[in-house]
Amino acid sequence: MTDLLVKNAYVIDPLSGIRGEIMDIAIRDGKIVEDTGSGAPVIDAGGCLTFPGGIDSHSHVCGTKVNFGRYMSPEDMRAGRTARKGVMRVTSGYSVPTTFGNSYRYSTMGYTTVLEGAMAPLEARHTHEEFTATPHQDMLANTLFDGNWAIMEAVRDKDVKRAAAIVAWTLDAVKGFAIKLTNPGGTEAWGWGKDVHSVRDEVPYFGVTPAEIIETMIRANELLNLPHSVHIHCNNLGVPGNYQTTLDTIDLAPDLNRNRQSLYLTHVQFHSYGGSTWRDISSKSEDIARAVNSRPQVAIDMGQIMFGRTTTMTADGPMEWKLYMLHHNKWSNHDVELETGSGIIPVYYGRKSLVNCVMWAIGLELALLINDPWQCMLATDNPNGAPFVKYPEIIALLMSSRYRDIERSAIDPRTEHYVPLFAIDRELDWYDIAVMTRAAQAKALGIERIGKGHLAEGAEADIAIYPLKPDELDPAADYQQVMAGFAKTRYTIKRGRVVARNGEVVVEGANSTIWSRADVPPEYDLNRDAEFVKKFEQYYTVRMRNYPVQDIYLPRGYFISTEASL
Amino acid sequence: MRVTLKTRARAKPRIPIEAETIIPQNFLQKNDVRVYEGNKERKLEDIFFITIEGPAVSPDQVEIVLTGDTGVIKRVGEYMNAGRIIVEGDIGMHCGNFMSAGEIIIRGNADSWLGREMRGGLIRCEGNAAHYCGAGYRGEKRGMRGGTLEVLGNAGDFTAEYLCSGEVHIHGNCGDLPGVEMRGGVLTIGGDCTRPCGNMTGGTCRIFGAAHQFLPTFRRNGTEDVEYNGKRCRMAAFRGDVANRGKGTVLVRED
Amino acid sequence: MKIEDVVCTFCGCLCDDLVVEVENNRVCSVENGCTLANEKFMRDHRLKNPIRRDGNGWKAVSYDEAIRETAEILLDADRPLLYGWSGTHGEAQSVGVHLAELIGGVIDNTSTVCHGPSIMAIQEVGHPGCTLGQVKNRADVIVYWGANPIDAHPRHMSRYTTYADGFFIENAFRDRKVIVADVRQTESSAIADEFLKIDRGGDYAALSALRAIVRGKGDLIPSRVAGVTREQLFRVAEICMKAKFGAIFFGLGLTMSPGKYKNIRNAIELTQELNRHTKFTISPMRGHWNVYGSNEVFTWITGYPYAIDFARGIAFYNPGETTSVDILMRGECDACLVVASDPGAHFPRACAEHLARIPTVQIDPHVNATTHLATLQIPVAVTGIDAEGTAYRMDGVPIRARKLFTGSYPNDQEILEKIFARVKEAKRS
Repeated sequence: MTDLLVKNAYVIDPLSGIRGEIMDIAIRDGKIVEDTGSGAPVIDAGGCLTFPGGIDSHSHVCGTKVNFGRYMSPEDMRAGRTARKGVMRVTSGYSVPTTFGNSYRYSTMGYTTVLEGAMAPLEARHTHEEFTATPHQDMLANTLFDGNWAIMEAVRDKDVKRAAAIVAWTLDAVKGFAIKLTNPGGTEAWGWGKDVHSVRDEVPYFGVTPAEIIETMIRANELLNLPHSVHIHCNNLGVPGNYQTTLDTIDLAPDLNRNRQSLYLTHVQFHSYGGSTWRDISSKSEDIARAVNSRPQVAIDMGQIMFGRTTTMTADGPMEWKLYMLHHNKWSNHDVELETGSGIIPVYYGRKSLVNCVMWAIGLELALLINDPWQCMLATDNPNGAPFVKYPEIIALLMSSRYRDIERSAIDPRTEHYVPLFAIDRELDWYDIAVMTRAAQAKALGIERIGKGHLAEGAEADIAIYPLKPDELDPAADYQQVMAGFAKTRYTIKRGRVVARNGEVVVEGANSTIWSRADVPPEYDLNRDAEFVKKFEQYYTVRMRNYPVQDIYLPRGYFISTEASL
Repeated sequence: MRVTLKTRARAKPRIPIEAETIIPQNFLQKNDVRVYEGNKERKLEDIFFITIEGPAVSPDQVEIVLTGDTGVIKRVGEYMNAGRIIVEGDIGMHCGNFMSAGEIIIRGNADSWLGREMRGGLIRCEGNAAHYCGAGYRGEKRGMRGGTLEVLGNAGDFTAEYLCSGEVHIHGNCGDLPGVEMRGGVLTIGGDCTRPCGNMTGGTCRIFGAAHQFLPTFRRNGTEDVEYNGKRCRMAAFRGDVANRGKGTVLVRED
Repeated sequence: MKIEDVVCTFCGCLCDDLVVEVENNRVCSVENGCTLANEKFMRDHRLKNPIRRDGNGWKAVSYDEAIRETAEILLDADRPLLYGWSGTHGEAQSVGVHLAELIGGVIDNTSTVCHGPSIMAIQEVGHPGCTLGQVKNRADVIVYWGANPIDAHPRHMSRYTTYADGFFIENAFRDRKVIVADVRQTESSAIADEFLKIDRGGDYAALSALRAIVRGKGDLIPSRVAGVTREQLFRVAEICMKAKFGAIFFGLGLTMSPGKYKNIRNAIELTQELNRHTKFTISPMRGHWNVYGSNEVFTWITGYPYAIDFARGIAFYNPGETTSVDILMRGECDACLVVASDPGAHFPRACAEHLARIPTVQIDPHVNATTHLATLQIPVAVTGIDAEGTAYRMDGVPIRARKLFTGSYPNDQEILEKIFARVKEAKRS
């Protein structure tokens, strides 16, 4: 039995309805309990801001394309190197840090759970290997189905149940957490160097549309009763005028689940552009926010960009090609047979670029114009919009209109003609930030049921204590302190153990990988489906038997089990 | 102030010394200057006999003289921003990386990556320079961005790779692919070379010897007269590399 | 006992459809494998136990003794080099990287003598690639440049390209065009629709010319470039631009000819240029079965795919400086640990001589050329035969190599973990 008592904490725990109370938190064996035994070690939080551990619901930190981002970027690696120190190993990288680099930096910011935004099933083993080397966060993997041939055939046959069976088989095989659709249909078209340009465009050969794929997958997801909803990266990312595609996508989402959204739209900043070219690009955040505000069945994350150098990486191969045509810097692409694609290019977001300034404003506008923070999560699509180490700056911008005004004077002066940002005076409060950085994520991912994102009795003892005293601070004025405070916790506690203190990681980590297992009736078990097996062996270059990720890759695997309604 | 560093005999003389700390600004105060010998951190006095003569109140008044077996000492002058370094013999890799001002004089030969990503100042090597003289770092789009780098002898392959701005002048011959990926600045080669300026997108390269295996993707663009070492030379002018955007200029001596 | 879907741990193709029969802890037959696979599985003569050099001969030592001695050698060294790694599984490679970090050494893999230049080129311009199934199912034009798959990757053509029927290519041999570029005729060039016979050292110029043609600047191309006629260059460019899906594969003929990584860069930029017209991909023909795995593992831990120098306590990377051949040539390192490769056979003579001068420990199942330079050799199980673990195919697809039977040898990971533990213990005290 290991006990720990956190005393005198200024707790905000939105899922438990706690909006800022000084209280003690008792921990036993990694869980929150009613009371500890006497003599438990005590941490005096000294009235500091205390949240459940942070959860990133969309980040690219592990797997084939992330590692390729490192592989191709020695210049980024040397930009963020640290030496071995205590238990901390050598790290490299600024926008695409090494796995330990990611893990330490997240941990010192109080993050204890991270969802990898895109895992190609064929290469899942790689993602899981890197999960094991990201030891301070519990990890989950969105699993890509956007160009999955078997899925598109099921969509063509209007067979939702078969689509559900394919999802169930795949998640089990690759130890995935949720359904991810990245530019649905577009990644298959990219196999021929093409793309789809609206939700009604047909995918070459398969003859299905993105809309049909999205609708089928939302229903399949709910048939399987998966914890998370379908997680979508819409078509037309980064294209001026794409907000219409995003609105069309939102319109496709039915309200099927009482506990959470039925569709999660990720990095929506990249999907909220008006205009028709880069010259007249404008913000359509108001239209998008209006749509989100009127539909409780959707939730989004910001996809905020921040100025500076970073690396973009996504399964959306055709989008990266378009970006390459703009930047003419290096370009990598990696199509994955029968499943999906991916691309990587380095970018620089400059304050002197009007387009970049508009993008920067849009992300903030989404967070400020969406009324309910539970529907808009804070993320940068790390590292696409910015490396996650920029989160504290984003928090400060959202909490302080004064800080936004200071930034206004540093960016392209034309920006204000294209964006509504500077007319918005809303300032988020500590509670909103707690929602947008952990509680909303736990709810949206459906992992509050396994004790994530809150501090109620029985929850995982993942806790972040920031050196910020809400009673003594005015975030609107003291935004510099807010930024510094969210960058380095006083304590990060993971499963009841202090893992980081004042910006330093103090123990070797031991994380879990969380995946979803939907039990389907035998007639939906694809291992017994002769047609599925035959096509698999014929068109994949890996034998079906060598495809599933063995249990050994998840040394501390944890699955959320569901019963499919098939 | 004149700082003289004379190498001591070492048990394993082939192990390189990593000495980015040897720059004028570090000798202003009596700092504890350390270097690496392989994976061991050493005090400067473990590696060198040190003599310091005269005072200095700013780094530009500091002159460092390196003597002895200096050919495996790396990174001397890295990030230097003032003052002067004189190397009596050969110098190891990465001498003058990122330097922004000041002066480095090498009496002997320089190993690879002399003046890598240099931003300003002057490097003069009186012997030969090895590969990647005045070049960039792996994966970085811009190499040398300013300053002057002069080699009186020959230089190896990939000289001035990714040259962006500033001037590289090799009085002797260059190896293969000098000026490859060049995008700005001026590269002058007094002698011969092979395959100059592959994939260049900007800048000017002047070759006063023979350019062997000249690439087929440069477009002839008349002739130009250029003065070099007090002599007027007639140069064949080319634009290229048209395998890429082709906005660079290569001048090759004709007469 | 017959085992199906066995993964072949020989070359970067990482075929996973072998049928292997095992009896009494020995492989007695292999089906579906190429000749190289058969050789690997069938002619497996192991070193029986650890050996230490003793005058002109060898003396048997225990595993514990060998591990202790290796740890001492590494601890004593000021500039240790940990080289090899391509012939073992990822889990062992991972321990190797942590060991290198702990002792402030240099860690490098066999990329240094094969596709290191490809990596350097990718770091300059990126890599438009794909998994091999994408090629199998779609590609109607295949280009092999400086590669002879029939010799080095015998099943590459039948599993992934020329002879592999795919979803959109129902009759591969009829529907696919094959272009081969090489400095000499090979078995592979003999079956090509177009054979570009390039003068030695002329790859860069030929690739530049093709790029100019694809960019519409073909007018300045002379009648011959590097021995290839203008007409043929235009014809090949035309075939590529008209392809529905084209795939270039390149080998050591391109990475190791003059200009090295600049050749690869040129080929990648040609591929990028072709993507303005159609879909094109490019991929290196990786040699060792898990050399790509060593690049992956090194990268996620250190940020760099090979040639990492931890001497100053941070990870530093600079091929030409931190690469094994260069370090050995300059006589820098004062101890070497060789794991799962044979530098004695593949490195220049001067490097081998330096290895013989310093304490060199080899962890390898077999007696090879490096044995003759080593002071100590520790035999281990062979991944894919009596050890299992992760391997990355040449296109990045991770596959778990199987263990076919449980033998008596420890595996690489176990040996390395013990060395690591000893070093860590010594560092602590």
